Amino acid sequence: MIRPWGLHLLRGMAITMRHFLNSYWQGIRRRLGRPGGGRFGAGASGIFTVQYPEERLPVPERFRVLPVLIYEEATGDIRCTSCGICAKVCPPQCIWIVQAKGEDGKTRNRPAEFTIEANVCMNCGLCAEYCPFDAIKMDHRFEMAATRRKPGDVLNLQDLLVSSEYHARIHPRAAAREAEARAKKASKGT
Amino acid sequence: MVRWQDLLGQVESVASWGRKSSLWPLQFGLACCAIEMICAAASRFDIARFGAELFRPSPRQADLMIVSGTVTKKMIPMIVRLFSQMAEPRYVLSMGACANGGGPFKEGYNVVSGVDEFLPVDVYVRGCPPTPQALLEGLIALQRKIEDESYLGAWRLASRPEIPVPALGPDLVDRRQAGGIRAAMEKREPQRLASPRELPQARPARKAAELSSAEGAAVEAGAKLSGRVPADRVQASGASLIIGRDAWGRAARALRDECGYDYLANLTAADYADAVEVVYHLARTAAPGPALTVRVRTERDRAEVPSVVPVWPGANMQEREVWDLFGVRFAGHPNLKRILMWEGFAGHPLRKDWLEPYYEEPRKMFSSRWKEGTYRAAEDRNRWGRNVVYPDGFDGSVPEAAPSASPAAASEGDGEGRRRLLVSLGPQHPSTHGVFQMRALLEGERVVALEPVMGYLHRNHEKIGERNSWIMNFPYTDRLDYLTSMANGLAYAVSVERLAGLKVPERAEYIRVIMAELTRIVNHLWAIGFLLNDLGSWFTPALYAIEERELILDLFEMASGSRMMCNYMRFSGVSADLPEDFLPQCRRLVAERLPRAIDSLDAYLTKSEIVGNRLRGVGVLSGASAIGHSASGPVLRGSGVAYDLRKAEPYSIYDRFQFDVVTFPGGDAYDRYRVRMGEMRQSLRILDQALKQIPDGPVIEKNQYLLRVPEGEIYGRFENPKGELGFYLVSDGTASAYRYHVRAPSFVNLSALEEMCRGHLVADVVAILGSIDIVLGETDR
Repeated sequence: MIRPWGLHLLRGMAITMRHFLNSYWQGIRRRLGRPGGGRFGAGASGIFTVQYPEERLPVPERFRVLPVLIYEEATGDIRCTSCGICAKVCPPQCIWIVQAKGEDGKTRNRPAEFTIEANVCMNCGLCAEYCPFDAIKMDHRFEMAATRRKPGDVLNLQDLLVSSEYHARIHPRAAAREAEARAKKASKGT
Repeated sequence: MVRWQDLLGQVESVASWGRKSSLWPLQFGLACCAIEMICAAASRFDIARFGAELFRPSPRQADLMIVSGTVTKKMIPMIVRLFSQMAEPRYVLSMGACANGGGPFKEGYNVVSGVDEFLPVDVYVRGCPPTPQALLEGLIALQRKIEDESYLGAWRLASRPEIPVPALGPDLVDRRQAGGIRAAMEKREPQRLASPRELPQARPARKAAELSSAEGAAVEAGAKLSGRVPADRVQASGASLIIGRDAWGRAARALRDECGYDYLANLTAADYADAVEVVYHLARTAAPGPALTVRVRTERDRAEVPSVVPVWPGANMQEREVWDLFGVRFAGHPNLKRILMWEGFAGHPLRKDWLEPYYEEPRKMFSSRWKEGTYRAAEDRNRWGRNVVYPDGFDGSVPEAAPSASPAAASEGDGEGRRRLLVSLGPQHPSTHGVFQMRALLEGERVVALEPVMGYLHRNHEKIGERNSWIMNFPYTDRLDYLTSMANGLAYAVSVERLAGLKVPERAEYIRVIMAELTRIVNHLWAIGFLLNDLGSWFTPALYAIEERELILDLFEMASGSRMMCNYMRFSGVSADLPEDFLPQCRRLVAERLPRAIDSLDAYLTKSEIVGNRLRGVGVLSGASAIGHSASGPVLRGSGVAYDLRKAEPYSIYDRFQFDVVTFPGGDAYDRYRVRMGEMRQSLRILDQALKQIPDGPVIEKNQYLLRVPEGEIYGRFENPKGELGFYLVSDGTASAYRYHVRAPSFVNLSALEEMCRGHLVADVVAILGSIDIVLGETDR
């Protein structure tokens, strides 16, 4: 059988053409408010581009960039007890903690200094996963471009603190679960 | 009255606007971040909206250098050279933690702690890796900077001093520091400002026993060998054989020819107090079953063992790696020189007593981090403010590198008056899939010989891995083959679980298989898309493939928190249960969308005449030589060898699923492509079954960060999308691995590259490399 050379090439071009026309077709449908053809999930069809910075890709709750330290919105207390587990599990060893000392010279259960080298951190989330006090969490903030390397590459305690309310806002499910577990623990204790 | 200044201001703002809206980035990628950079250029994020889509392969046409990933010492001379070839006004965007300041690999001996040690960086983009959106934000920040720049000021920058290209001596030598180095070395000033508190301790090698105490496959192999080599040269150690160095050559032949061990799965070494032990893992492609371990020991100070390249050609590059990192000579090796580091580098880094410049302690956590953890930059602990140390007697001068290609071969003809030409492709080249170099000797346009050159992304994974606690290695394995992080994590988790005897809950097993097979689809989509790129169909097929990939990455991000660096597997389970909407979305994707997408890609490409003409009969590798070269994955199965570790040595719960091993007999680039197409469909079959059967229940036995693994060792083999991923782990019963070796499929598959390329055109070399499908993070580790 003789097959004309280039037939499949033309078929391929038809597929490209279909993609091209579909982007318009779905755009018109979207304008008219017809269902289907979104940009996310299994039904995504048509133009696929997220128009950053005007809009942003939706971020799932577990999304992680750099770690942050949580303080209680109500009392202002830092949750961290400086137990050092985060420093112990940190793979590139970018967490540095100085334990606070009282006037009597005895250590207190809070950090005097807490430093994270942002340029060494690999955003792995192990510190947040193993923190027994829900004190260190992974932030969602990814827009951190800077024209200077310093001082943003070494984050100190003040840079790292965010409120428990912020944590509950970006991690609604996890924060609710944690609050429940803490309440349970407290009721057992009394 | 129009003032001259106002007029100039108008001109300036128009010019700045023009410049910021038409940035032409240099087309080169270094590591994991480069993948996100490519995604930023693909349809979802579309860097073209900012006028920056014209990635130029030549620095002379580019005005923006995106340093996307880990800058290694071996690569920095090329980066500086590329930068100096760019015309002013030029900008540098440093992308990701590694380029900004060394990143997670900072402590490694081959890593530069920040590209700004050499280049003037305009914008730093944070993250590891930064998402494509973060890169776009960096680009916007750069545009803002350009907008504020004075036009005349920018041109004045042209008088910026030239940056001298750093040299590769015993360590990286910044020529601007050469005088200081010489003075300090003469005065014998200490290079490390504080001497380390504790040095690593080497432990003795495992004891040998009588052959009669051998277990498993070692019994049979030992019995066959006893007739071939003197009986006292073969001993047993559990399920492995210890073979005397002088008898190893004969024994290797006997193992291959008489015991059927035709496949050298892995070759590496371990450094002990009393010996360096070279370890071989042998398998039979005809008979499934676990690999046989063979050990050959040699003295530490005059380490030498016979080369097995004549028996298993696939040993070639792995022996070079052992020479490079352990300093073991292989007698009879055809081309024994360093492979990951450069010639002239001081020392063999994986020896236990070799300390890198930023060395702190033998094991993590470092004691300086906690309780009294006042931050101190690693740079400040070093005399040079850099990640470098020099051996005694070094005078700070490095001669200009001689032309590294062998000029003799190039200038001479073949005796018949035909001139030969040596061409270097890479390490900055759009076709090499990263920082990989090929030195091709050409006769006309035909390849006569070809040598792969690597190490430009050698990030010291193994040295760091031997300091990490067991759990710390998970996020590092994500960065091996950064396209398949889920599968890497699975392989590492299963290896350690076997060694520690941990159980995995049912639901977690299913989640793992789902993730691993989604990863296979992700990888093959990418491989096929970029194979077509290599053929010259600039980006369209890749765009379609990346679109589907993005949808799978959304699932990964939903479950694990990161698109690429998932870090989702844990010992005895996975880090967290699937979020509620994961399974419905995944089912829809697997049942409806992906089959259609793969069919459409198939219809688009498989029968296309151009694809056929470019790939059929190109890069043919026979089944026998694929086995000999230790090829694995689609490269092996594309040569007609039905060897798939999911069947041959099943791990996790792969034995429960119905799927076929896809093979094609041709051994050419086209068949490797077809294997990948077929494997995606098989993955969908497995996914379909797994998504139907997945039970409820816990997803982890016990999520603990401190794991103690009993003394022992293991070589775990896994069918990763690119081929056999192996973890050779030796535990001494402490919280970290004594020896941590990664058998990377991309690395070993390259051993067959020369054979595939010989006789083909230069343009075919690009297609052949694309059909092998390598990732440099894994090749160089």
